Amino acid sequence: MIHALRAGAYGIPFMPVGGMWGSDLIAIRPEFFQIMKSPFDGTETVVVNALVPDYAIIHVQEADIYGNCRILGPSYQDALMARAAKKTIITTERIVGSYRMQEEPKLTSIPHFLVEAVVELPGGAKPGICYPEYQAVEWDKHKAYQKAVKADELGKYADMMLEGRL
Amino acid sequence: MRNKLVSLSQATDLIKDNMLLAIGGNAMHRTPTLFSLALSKKPVKNLKVCGAAPGLATDIILANMQADTSYFGFSGLENEAGLSPGMRKGMEGEGKIKAIEGS
Repeated sequence: MIHALRAGAYGIPFMPVGGMWGSDLIAIRPEFFQIMKSPFDGTETVVVNALVPDYAIIHVQEADIYGNCRILGPSYQDALMARAAKKTIITTERIVGSYRMQEEPKLTSIPHFLVEAVVELPGGAKPGICYPEYQAVEWDKHKAYQKAVKADELGKYADMMLEGRL
Repeated sequence: MRNKLVSLSQATDLIKDNMLLAIGGNAMHRTPTLFSLALSKKPVKNLKVCGAAPGLATDIILANMQADTSYFGFSGLENEAGLSPGMRKGMEGEGKIKAIEGS
C-alpha cells in the first residue's frame, strides 16, 4: 500500500515491491499487483499499481490558516498521502500563527501548497486518540459507535458526536 | 499563500461520488473521525478509500456504505478497540464493499 502511494507521489504509474512473493494476493488482485521482468537483467519483480487519491483527509495537531501543518507524535503515512493525493483537506486541533512554522521549518510535515481546505476542529479524532492532546480512547463513545454500527443507527451517533460542530 | 479556513460542512462538500480518498492516522490514532461522521450526513456514494492501516475514520465511511472499494494493508482498530465493525459489515456476507489488500 505504501509503495502504491509512493508511486502516486512520484508521478510514476507503478512501483516494484519486495516481500509479496508467496502471497495469494498477487493472483487475486491483478488490477493491483502484477509480475514483470526487469528491463535490465530479466529478474522477475512484483509491481503494484499507483494510487493517486483525489483527496487526502488528515487530522493534525497544528495548522496555520494557509494549510502548513505540524504533526506531533507519530506521523504514520500522512505526509506521503498528502503528496500522493491531488489535494489535501486538513482538520486540526488548533490554528496556530505561521511563526510556529518559521521557528522550526523542518517540523512542517505538510506544506500549504498541498492543502485545499483547513477546518479548525478540536477533538476531531475522538473517540480515538490524538497524542498528546488526548491520550486515551473515550470508551463509552467507542462502545456507542460499535452498537450504532450493529443497530444501523449511525445517523444518531453522528448527530451526538457532531452537535454544534458542522 | 491564501486563507483556506472553512467549516466542517464546507470541507465535506468538496467530496464527490466515486472519488478516491486517502484517510490519515492509524487504527484508533489521529484518524479524522469527525470529518467522516460529517461526511455521513452528505449523499456521497461509491467512494474508494485507501490507507496502510486505516482505522476508525475509514470504518465510519464503510459502516455507512458510502464506499464501494477499500485499499488497505491492515484494517482494524487494534487491542481493546477490537475489529473494524463497519469494514466487517460491508465486506462479510454479500461483500458489497470490495477489499483490495496490500502489505
